[in-house]
Amino acid sequence: MIKVENLKKSFKLSAKQRKEFNTTDTEAKSVDGISFTCQPGKIFSLLGPNGAGKTTTLRMLSTIIKPTSGTIEIAGFNVDTQANEVRKRIGFLTGSTGLYERLTPDEILKYYADLNDVSKEDFEQRKQHYYDLLDMNDFAKKRIGQLSTGMKQKVSITRTMIHDPEVVVFDEPTSGLDVITAENIITLIRDCKTAGKTVIFSSHIMSEVDLLCDDLAIINRGKILYQDTMQNFRTNMKTANLTSEFIRIVNENQPVNA
Amino acid sequence: MKKILIIAKKEFLDMFRDKRTIMRMILIPLLAFPVIIYLVSSLQASQSEKEATKELVVGYYLNDQSSAMIDRMDTTAHFTFVPYIDTTSLSAAVSSDSINLGIWFSSSFDQNYEAREQGEYGIFYRSADLEEYDRFQELIKVQEEYLVQERLAQNELPSAYIQPLLLNTQGGNKSTMTETIAKYAGGILPYIFMAFCFMGCMLPAIDLFAGEKERGTIETLLVTPVNRVHILVGKMIVVTAFGLLSATVALGGLIGSLYLMEIDPQLNAIIAMVITPKLVVMLYLLLIPTAIFFAGIMIPVSVYSRSFKEAQSILTPLNMAVIIPTLVGFLPGIELDYTTAWIPIVNVVLATKAMIAGNPEIGPIIITFASLIFLSAIAVFISFKQFGKEGNVLR
Repeated sequence: MIKVENLKKSFKLSAKQRKEFNTTDTEAKSVDGISFTCQPGKIFSLLGPNGAGKTTTLRMLSTIIKPTSGTIEIAGFNVDTQANEVRKRIGFLTGSTGLYERLTPDEILKYYADLNDVSKEDFEQRKQHYYDLLDMNDFAKKRIGQLSTGMKQKVSITRTMIHDPEVVVFDEPTSGLDVITAENIITLIRDCKTAGKTVIFSSHIMSEVDLLCDDLAIINRGKILYQDTMQNFRTNMKTANLTSEFIRIVNENQPVNA
Repeated sequence: MKKILIIAKKEFLDMFRDKRTIMRMILIPLLAFPVIIYLVSSLQASQSEKEATKELVVGYYLNDQSSAMIDRMDTTAHFTFVPYIDTTSLSAAVSSDSINLGIWFSSSFDQNYEAREQGEYGIFYRSADLEEYDRFQELIKVQEEYLVQERLAQNELPSAYIQPLLLNTQGGNKSTMTETIAKYAGGILPYIFMAFCFMGCMLPAIDLFAGEKERGTIETLLVTPVNRVHILVGKMIVVTAFGLLSATVALGGLIGSLYLMEIDPQLNAIIAMVITPKLVVMLYLLLIPTAIFFAGIMIPVSVYSRSFKEAQSILTPLNMAVIIPTLVGFLPGIELDYTTAWIPIVNVVLATKAMIAGNPEIGPIIITFASLIFLSAIAVFISFKQFGKEGNVLR
């Protein structure tokens, strides 16, 4: 489970940045007091245009950066005070995630399994499960630099799941991928839901959200504009399709914190 | 500790598979000195042989004096003497490079010599071809010695007549061979060590931090349940180790090439005398904190940089900040004392020289070691602070 309460994140602006953004403010609010809850066995989508604050929010959830204020609880642990416990229970995958080009999938997976204190038996079992599921056996010993984008994405998926995390964070996971490669990610997200994991993913592609999510929040300029179940979103639409409705909500731009 | 080793092990594997790493940190340091030494010694030998056998044409203007001296010199191999009718034409011929050198005699040369005075002569030469002038000077010296002996014989005087002092050199030099080497050539060893150690640290420092950011792998690493200090230490071990490896390989290449090429047996004996196991241990004791210090300087820069290229463009000029103080080791007269022991890099160079000479003062050595530990601790702390800044890591 993920519980986020009144989460804020601001970044100090340098003189150069103030000039660039044409502002006299000394800091920029990237996330401005958002709250939401993601339930186990459900998929929560954080939807918003570029620069809305999605990535910053997910980075705070994943302990990569610290919130300016507010609280985040992941699987019952506080992100600020129990970061290591949170990290043991979290899987993190982004569309821009890189891999070590000079290592093989086997070596990368072993590296992350060791860092996550996965036992040898569990590692072998999980690795083989994903190798079979994603058809990875043929390139397990090839260096990453020799693999195609689709193969690399499969390695990234296995890396994310190698320690069997309770909570999985996907930050625009299909960004830049072709439909066949993106399908692997969609399948993974569905499998996570079936396995009872808590899943949060960010996107700006409405079709993907429609396909997967149970709950959603629309975020813009660091504030939540809309938050409800996907079912209610569909029912209460004031426009002809999901994308138009998303654009309408963003353009109305009346932030209301849930 | 376990996590530190996991990170270090992975980084070693990753770095050793990088062709750039193998080239720049192992192959180049290993082959640089053998290739340089081979080229320089071959070139020098062939050049010396060429110079010694080059035919020199020397013009002369006797000015109505005896040709005895010219006749004697004319028998020397690789010299040809050509007469001229005056100094003007002789000078012009040397200036225009149609002959190599010119010698002229004063109109009172014979008379003065006979009168036991000095016979005056002059040489036309080009300082751009100084080696030709030097070869001719050698010939003139032989003639002068001949004339001295002739005068002494005419007056029935022994050679000792004009050499009233005799220096007994036996047992006079109280410096040991290693002391002399340490003073005049002792700077080479720490120079090689420091320069290659710095270069060896640079590539991994850039690749393991700026490179990790550029490849987009840093986020996934930060989400693992590993303390950031452990990540930093794991990577720092690799940076430091590559610095030491590069320095060791360079030194091995230098010593190995001197031995294998058998350039000078005496030089080999000197190397064996200077590079003792004790010196090597002491050198590494100084070099390990130095390598940590280098890593500690480079890592914050690499952490701050957005890309491999940006980090490289900042760190490459820093090379000079290491090389210039290292050159102090080549200056005779500057020694390790209670003042120089506080100056980073300079202190390592001077301490190494003192150790080669076999007379290190324990106080300055302790200061050197302690100051290096202190500086490397500060550098590690700065690295940790920079690595902890989310603005740097996600820049």
